[in-house]
Amino acid sequence: MTPNIAIVHIETPHWRSIPLWIPLFLLWIPAILLSPFILIVIFGLSIAGKLNPWRTFRVLWDLICSLPGTQVRVTTDGTNVRVRIL
Amino acid sequence: MNEHRRQILEMLAAGKITADEAERLLSALEPEAAPAADFNGRIAGNGSADTNVKTRAKYIRVLVEADEYMTGMKGQTTVNVRVPLQFLRAGVRLASLIPKQAHDQLDEALNRHGIPLTLSQIKPENLEELIDHLEDLTVDVDGKEGNNTKVRVFCE
Repeated sequence: MTPNIAIVHIETPHWRSIPLWIPLFLLWIPAILLSPFILIVIFGLSIAGKLNPWRTFRVLWDLICSLPGTQVRVTTDGTNVRVRIL
Repeated sequence: MNEHRRQILEMLAAGKITADEAERLLSALEPEAAPAADFNGRIAGNGSADTNVKTRAKYIRVLVEADEYMTGMKGQTTVNVRVPLQFLRAGVRLASLIPKQAHDQLDEALNRHGIPLTLSQIKPENLEELIDHLEDLTVDVDGKEGNNTKVRVFCE
């Protein structure tokens, strides 16, 4: 499944943000609109690199679909940034 | 399927032994140290509550604790990253798309840095095995001589 939402938390010693829900599924709109160009670029680069374009497309698709579940947390000097991809 | 298991099943199919006897024989073949576990990683148990056994790892976690000396920032910095193993799989597949011309250069560069790895030998059929073995991987790095940086990499 493609990533649908990214949740970003930011905390500082003086301020704490509400969790920001970033709707990644909205990226489907520009992705669909630009899909002919994206496909042409992928196919062009694959052919230039002597690769199977379908295989390249599948690998890139797998990469995107495997993103959900990723978490990154960075804490320094009381500041805490947390990003989760669902 | 190993030979003994096949023989037992053949004896059962031929009607030489009963289903109960076959079950006893099959369970006798199981190593004692590795009790049978179901897909959820739970042991049926010997009368006591179910016990969790090693389940299939889903994520690789990287924990880094770095001090001011390393980061140049005030106080200790902690980085905690959890990456799905599926992402790693896709990443390794992406590496398999590297053109053959680039393989030699990469192998040479890796060898120069003391990593005797030949990328062209990593075939798609070996990927699953490679990722599966990562599940047992744990890397602990502790800095020394005033450097208190700690790095831990493990699967969970």
